[in-house]
Amino acid sequence: MSRIGVFVCHCGENISRTVDVEKVAEAARGLLGVAHACDYKYMCSDPGQALLKKAVAEHRLDGVVVAACSPRMHEKTFRKATEQAGLNPFLCEMANIREHCSWVHEDRDEATAKAIDIVHMLVERVKRNRKLQPISVPVTKTSLVIGGGIAGIQAALDIADAGHRVVLVEREPSIGGHMAQLSETFPTLDCSQCIMTPKMVDVANHPNITLHTYSEVEEVDGYIGNFQVKIRKKARSVDMARCTGCGVCMAKCPQKKIPNSFDRDLGMRPAIYVPFPQAVPNVPVIDRVNCTWFKSGKCGVCQKVCGPGAVDYAQQDEFVVEQVGAIVVATGFNLYDISEKPKGSPIKGYGEFGHGKIPDVIDGMTFERLASASGPTGGKILRPSDGREPKQVVFVQCVGSRAREKGISYCSKICCMYTAKHTMLYKHKVHDGQAYVFFMDARTPGKGYDEFWRRSIEQEEAVYIRGMVSRLYQKGDKIVVMGSDIAVGIQVEIEADLVVLATAVQPRQGAELLAQKLGISYDQYNFYSEAHAKLRPVECATAGIYLAGACQGPKDIPDTVSQASAAAAKVMTLFAKDQLEREPIVAKVNERFCVGCFACKKVCAYGAIEEKEIRDRQGNLVKVVAYVNPGVCGGCGTCQATCPSKSVELDGYTDEQILAMIETL
Amino acid sequence: MTQGQQTESTPLVDPACYAAATAAIRAEAVRLLEAGEVTAVVGYRAGRRAGSAMPEVATTAEAAAQLIFTPGCQNNLALFLSKAKREALPKGKVAVVVKGCDLRALAGLIGESQLKRDEVHVIGVACPGVYGAGADLAKPLAAESLARKCRECKVHLPEGTDVVAGTLPPLPDLAPLEAEELARLEAMTPQERWAFWTEQFARCIRCLACRQVCPFCFCTQCLCDRNRPQAVDTSPRPAGNTAWHIVRAMHLAGRCAGCAECERVCPMDIPLNLLNRKMAQELFELYGFETTMQPQEQGALTSYRDGDDQSFIK
Ligand SMILES: Cc1cc2nc3c(=O)[nH]c(=O)nc-3n(C[C@H](O)[C@H](O)[C@H](O)COP(=O)(O)OP(=O)(O)OC[C@H]3O[C@@H](n4cnc5c(N)ncnc54)[C@H](O)[C@@H]3O)c2cc1C
Ligand code: SF4
Ligand code: SF4
Ligand code: SF4
Ligand code: SF4
Ligand code: SF4
Repeated sequence: MSRIGVFVCHCGENISRTVDVEKVAEAARGLLGVAHACDYKYMCSDPGQALLKKAVAEHRLDGVVVAACSPRMHEKTFRKATEQAGLNPFLCEMANIREHCSWVHEDRDEATAKAIDIVHMLVERVKRNRKLQPISVPVTKTSLVIGGGIAGIQAALDIADAGHRVVLVEREPSIGGHMAQLSETFPTLDCSQCIMTPKMVDVANHPNITLHTYSEVEEVDGYIGNFQVKIRKKARSVDMARCTGCGVCMAKCPQKKIPNSFDRDLGMRPAIYVPFPQAVPNVPVIDRVNCTWFKSGKCGVCQKVCGPGAVDYAQQDEFVVEQVGAIVVATGFNLYDISEKPKGSPIKGYGEFGHGKIPDVIDGMTFERLASASGPTGGKILRPSDGREPKQVVFVQCVGSRAREKGISYCSKICCMYTAKHTMLYKHKVHDGQAYVFFMDARTPGKGYDEFWRRSIEQEEAVYIRGMVSRLYQKGDKIVVMGSDIAVGIQVEIEADLVVLATAVQPRQGAELLAQKLGISYDQYNFYSEAHAKLRPVECATAGIYLAGACQGPKDIPDTVSQASAAAAKVMTLFAKDQLEREPIVAKVNERFCVGCFACKKVCAYGAIEEKEIRDRQGNLVKVVAYVNPGVCGGCGTCQATCPSKSVELDGYTDEQILAMIETL
Repeated sequence: MTQGQQTESTPLVDPACYAAATAAIRAEAVRLLEAGEVTAVVGYRAGRRAGSAMPEVATTAEAAAQLIFTPGCQNNLALFLSKAKREALPKGKVAVVVKGCDLRALAGLIGESQLKRDEVHVIGVACPGVYGAGADLAKPLAAESLARKCRECKVHLPEGTDVVAGTLPPLPDLAPLEAEELARLEAMTPQERWAFWTEQFARCIRCLACRQVCPFCFCTQCLCDRNRPQAVDTSPRPAGNTAWHIVRAMHLAGRCAGCAECERVCPMDIPLNLLNRKMAQELFELYGFETTMQPQEQGALTSYRDGDDQSFIK
């Protein structure tokens, strides 16, 4: 006969308000196999846990049911207490009478009856629990960081500084991401390049960082502590080892008029190029689409002028395989391109704004390039159409963001602040100019943020108009902005020289494809999902994978850097031990009955199931059965539900346990 | 139905086509055994009653020369390559005679890792049809004695086998009785349908012949035989019967080859293949999945694709 202890928690009043906890304890006392039951105000508190430990010893308990909150909340707490009391921790289970009961019911009698049922079910389950030992898996103390924006750079440097090897993979020819494109940054207006480039150089020089630029993650296998990552290094057409970065090739390339996307197509670059002068690594790539050699087999100038002979037209994509223990995803964001309606997306375009058609309607990032001292205009604010200095500039906030009818309901979080910044930069450069801003609300929470915003109005004389813009059209060399001012209740029309749209922050195109490779989840917009919005904001639900920066949701630089350092800290915590202990709630195969149909293998999303040969003593093959790799199994139970002969079961959730639970009802 | 009725009792096809298939099977089987390419040929030989046939595991050329193919060759011999029946075969590579429907079972077994394609030499047979349950085997095969599955068969000619024995004569167009029966059930209200099936299942005596004859019921221990915990009541009472039939239908969904052997062997005349057909139709409509004569990587219920119909989750 079992000797189970039942510990009913009031959770302050969270449970006791709707559930008669004393009655639950009393009912538990009457259950077969229950040796002790009691209730207490806060079971998770020190005295509550002491109560549990004392009862285990006094009543010689061989199983524990804590009737309280969700196991997600306190299972660890109580299993630890159970272990300290000398029992195997997996003999402790939680009966969730809070989320599953008191919080969702009003009628006290009914809620109490349900709580008793839940406790009864868990008692039956614990009776059939086995003692389990944690599973140890080795940890490879190398971290992969995907994306070399400020998020990826910060995470990589932190992990590398802690003494661990980092493999940083960046898709573009240079690291830097969006921050490298910015002019000056709110809320302090320090020059983005000046604070960014030293970090980029640190990455390049760090002995612990292996940098793969112009590269992408091709395949990911394995599990926490033991991932295998296949990386595709796209053909750069320039030998990294030989190139000295002298730049002669770029100077001599006859193809000079290719729009540079780093400058939002306002500046031009040659076919062999680095996206910007401070690029890391300072090794050019050949844009094979536009290069004359690749188009017609003629030219070859760069190869001829390259002193060290680094130009290699025959270079092929290469693959490297890295073993890593943790992965930080830092792939950042894209700005919503409103000039076209994204294909296959619920997001509707903004045809009425003429973006992409009217040259002087630009987005915020283009304005950053105009304002940047190293940008295509050398930091002068000039109109793309005729190179004139605009005297009236209209900024429009919330273009795409917070527009449910357009398909995006979230706030992009950074636009209020960078638009305020833009009005200031504009005023600093065009003293007689006037900035107008159409806005819905000013959202400026953050240290020094509201002060910054006020400064744009009070000192830099930006005119803020609360209202929406309905249409933009070209009239002569002006752009007519039609909008409303809801504070005054009138329609307004402004003839502007330049219009800057604060378009929504969106996940990278194809973010979902990377997520599928990694096996992490993403939300309806394709932002990557954290495991818990409040308590686990940098971890993915998939163990060993962490998030940093705007790939998880719109973020400014301070938030991005904080999250990147937090992700790095999580990686370091993981790397602090040589062996990783993980919950032994994994599936096991009954080899006697398994018929090797491998239905389980087909459905296992974790790739945990292998084929195992059973041989007799002479070495003859008897049969092939399924084998669950406990290091990989995520304990989801899909195999158990699929196996026709019920030959694979999850520890703690066996059919026997589940049927016993059902039978109590 | 008009054309169907006219042809009901006239012989379905010229019996010469069965004789030709028989000759081709014998020639291939003898060759294989004499050349030592296989250790046994699983085929049919004449049964004890006129017109009947029974499975034969031929290991000698003499035995191979006795193999036949007739309308009485109802058994699905793929069964011999799954579960305990496999122990009836000698070790080494074997050959097996399969009709189109049996081939679907064989392909399914390969897809479920129960055998490898190179472990068998597959002798496909061009099959105009076999007798249905209760037919008078002494009379030539006619539309009325033809198995229902054969009336709407789409795999008369096997594909992807090592050889095909015989050629296919022109076949008459027959009314698809099984499809009609299915449509009749579809037209019922859920309550009427439930009443129909519970009445059918109530007759079941749990002899489990249906399970024993099914190539896909290869579990060493059937879920329905387990007693710790007991998922299904094992005595032939209505509740347990219904549970057994639901388990059977679900476990065979997306796997059942439609050989209708289960229905043929049922002593209580329970229309099992109707249920199999219904499941197959459901999977085709939901996921575009069909069992085929080729092994498939993924089963209908063991794969997930974006855009899979999920409307059944309510
Ligand atoms: C117009 C504008 C002005 C702004 N001004 C300010 C400001 O003044 N102050 C402030 O604090 N913030 C500002 N921001 C916000 C700031 O740009 C972001 O907070 C920051 O860039 C986020 O960094 P990140 O590393 O997460 O993303 P990103 O900068 O987008 O970097 C992501 C990197 O990952 C790479 N990548 C993407 N996918 C892959 C892949 N599959 N494989 C490998 N690599 C990949 C990309 O190439 C890129 O290098 C501004 C943003 C905009 C749009
Ligand atoms: S599904 Fe069951 S019987 Fe089939 S291989 Fe897996 S454990 Fe074995
Ligand atoms: S429990 Fe889930 S993760 Fe573990 S082997 Fe089964 S299907 Fe795979
Ligand atoms: S063969 Fe018929 S009677 Fe026997 S168990 Fe199957 S359905 Fe029941
Ligand atoms: S009914 Fe299911 S469990 Fe039973 S033998 Fe058939 S497939 Fe296996
Ligand atoms: S369920 Fe019946 S029809 Fe389907 S494969 Fe098994 S025996 Fe054949």
